[in-house]
Amino acid sequence: MEAPKLLFSRSDRNRTPLWALRDVSFEVRPGEVIGIIGRNGAGKSTLLKILARIVTPSAGEVDIYGRVGSLLQVGTGFHPDLTGRENIFLNGAILGMKATEIKTKFDEIVAFSEVGRFLETPVKYYSSGMYLRLAFAIAAHFEPEVLLFDEVLAVGDESFQKKCLAKIKDVSRDGRTILFVSHNMTAIERHCARVLLIRSGLLYEDDDPKRTVAEYLSEASPIDGKLEAHFTGNNGFDKRHPFL
Amino acid sequence: MAISKKSTFSLPHLDAAPSIESESSTAVILPETPSIRIRASKRWSAIDLHELWIHRELLYFLVWRDLKVRYKQTVLGASWVILQPVLTTLVFATFLGNIARVPSNGVPYILFLYSGLLPWIYFSNAVSTSSHSLIASAHMITKVYFPRSIVPFAAVLVRLSDFLVASAILVVLMIYYGQPLKWTILITPLLILHLTLLTLGLSFWFAALNVKYRDVGTVLPVVMQLWMFASPVVYPANLVAPRWNWAYSLNPLTGIISAFRSALFGIPLDLRSLLISAAITIALLVYAAFVFRHMEDQFADVV
Repeated sequence: MEAPKLLFSRSDRNRTPLWALRDVSFEVRPGEVIGIIGRNGAGKSTLLKILARIVTPSAGEVDIYGRVGSLLQVGTGFHPDLTGRENIFLNGAILGMKATEIKTKFDEIVAFSEVGRFLETPVKYYSSGMYLRLAFAIAAHFEPEVLLFDEVLAVGDESFQKKCLAKIKDVSRDGRTILFVSHNMTAIERHCARVLLIRSGLLYEDDDPKRTVAEYLSEASPIDGKLEAHFTGNNGFDKRHPFL
Repeated sequence: MAISKKSTFSLPHLDAAPSIESESSTAVILPETPSIRIRASKRWSAIDLHELWIHRELLYFLVWRDLKVRYKQTVLGASWVILQPVLTTLVFATFLGNIARVPSNGVPYILFLYSGLLPWIYFSNAVSTSSHSLIASAHMITKVYFPRSIVPFAAVLVRLSDFLVASAILVVLMIYYGQPLKWTILITPLLILHLTLLTLGLSFWFAALNVKYRDVGTVLPVVMQLWMFASPVVYPANLVAPRWNWAYSLNPLTGIISAFRSALFGIPLDLRSLLISAAITIALLVYAAFVFRHMEDQFADVV
C-alpha cells in the first residue's frame, strides 16, 4: 500500500529505491542445467524466490513451461506429531504433488529415504539425519519440469550426499531444466553447461562455465582471499566456506 | 497475480528428442501458453478462485493435518470438541439462568444457551485460529508457492467440523427437553453456510492484517469477548430496547443466531436483521478477498 506523499519526509524523497534485481533477462531451454553464481546479497536467492513464486516481482515478467520445484523446500510443512507416512502425504501435497502421484511414488520415496522401519513413528522421534533424508526423498521425487537448487546438497552423511548428486544427474538426464545456485565452483563447472553471474542485482555475465567462473573469481575482494586462505589453505575454491 | 496453470500439461519436445547437449540444433517447440506466468503485482484484484480449486487437495490435507494433530498428547482427546461448548453452557446456565434468570423466548434456558453458544463458539474459534494461521505457517509461506488463502480457509473448515460434531449434543438436548422438531429445521444448513461465509470474510481479512500488524492478534480476544455480549448468544435478541434495534442488527451475528433459533424452536423469524446480515456478509467477503489478494504478495517478506 502506498502511503500518502505528504507523509514522506524530505530525506525519504531523495532516497533512491534499492533494486534487488534489475535488468535480469535470460532464457532457459528445456533440459539445460544453468548455474547461478554471485556474491552474497547479489540477488541469487531473490531470483530463485521469484521463479518459485514465493515473492512477487515489483516489475518484469516470467513465463514458465511446466511445474517448478525447488530444494529450498526440503521438509517444508513437516509436522513433528505426524508419522513418516503421514508426512510424506502432507509434504507431497504442499510441494504440489497430487495424492495419486504420491501414492504411486510412495514405495520409491520410502526406499530412497531409508526410514522404512520407522514409517509409523512420529517424525519428532527421528534423528536429524533420518528427518532430512525423508524430507529430501520427497522433494527429490516431486519431478517437476523445472528444478531450482539453492545449495542444499550438504544434507545428510557422505553416502547420502552421493545419492543426492546421482539423483540430480538422473534429473538432468531426464531432460529436466535445472537452475543451480551455488558457491561451490567445482560443482558449478562440473554440472552446468552455462553459468549466470549476478553482481549487485544485475545479470553481469551469461556465458560458459569457465569464463563466468573466472570473471566471478576476479571480482572477489582481497578480504575474501584472506579469509579463504585461512579456512581452506591451498584447496582452492571448491571447498570455499559457503558464508564467505 | 496473473498466474494460470494448465492442468493438462505436456512437453512433447522432451519425449521426442532429449538432445540437451546440442544447443544449436533444431529450435525447441514450446507449448503455446506457459503453464506459469509471473507478472508484477497488480493494484487490485480478488482472490483467484481457479487457483484455489487447483490446490483443493492441499486444502484437504491441511484440514486433515489439523484434525489429526490437534488433540495429540491430550487425555480426553477429541471429546474436547463437545466438552468446550457443554462446559461453557453449564457455566452460563448457572450464573445467567439460575441466578440472573435471563429470559429465553420460552425455550428451556440450557437448550436456548447451547443453540446460541454452538454457532458463537464456531465463529469465535474459527476467527481466532485463522487470524493466527498465516503467521503459524510462516515456514511454508517463505518456502513454497500455493494460494495463501488456503491457510485461513483450512482453519475455518476445521472449526466447521467441530461445529457439526458438537451439533449432535444439540439434537440430544432437543430430544431430552421434548422440543418438537419443525420443518424449519431444514433451513439450518443455509444458515450454517451464511455463518461460514461471514467467518471466512473476517478470517481472510484479519489473517492478512495480522501478518503485517500483529496488533490484530493481540486485540482480537478482547474484541471477541465484547462481540459475544453484543450478540444474542446468552440472551434473546428481543431483550434489546426497540430504539436500539437498528444498531443491534448491524451486528451480522444478530440475524444469524436469531434465525438459527427461529429455525430450531419455531420462534418468529426476524427477517430484517437476517437480510442486513446477509448484505454485510457479502460486502465483507468481497472486501476481504481484495484486501487479502492485495497483501498476499508481501506475506513472504513480512511474515
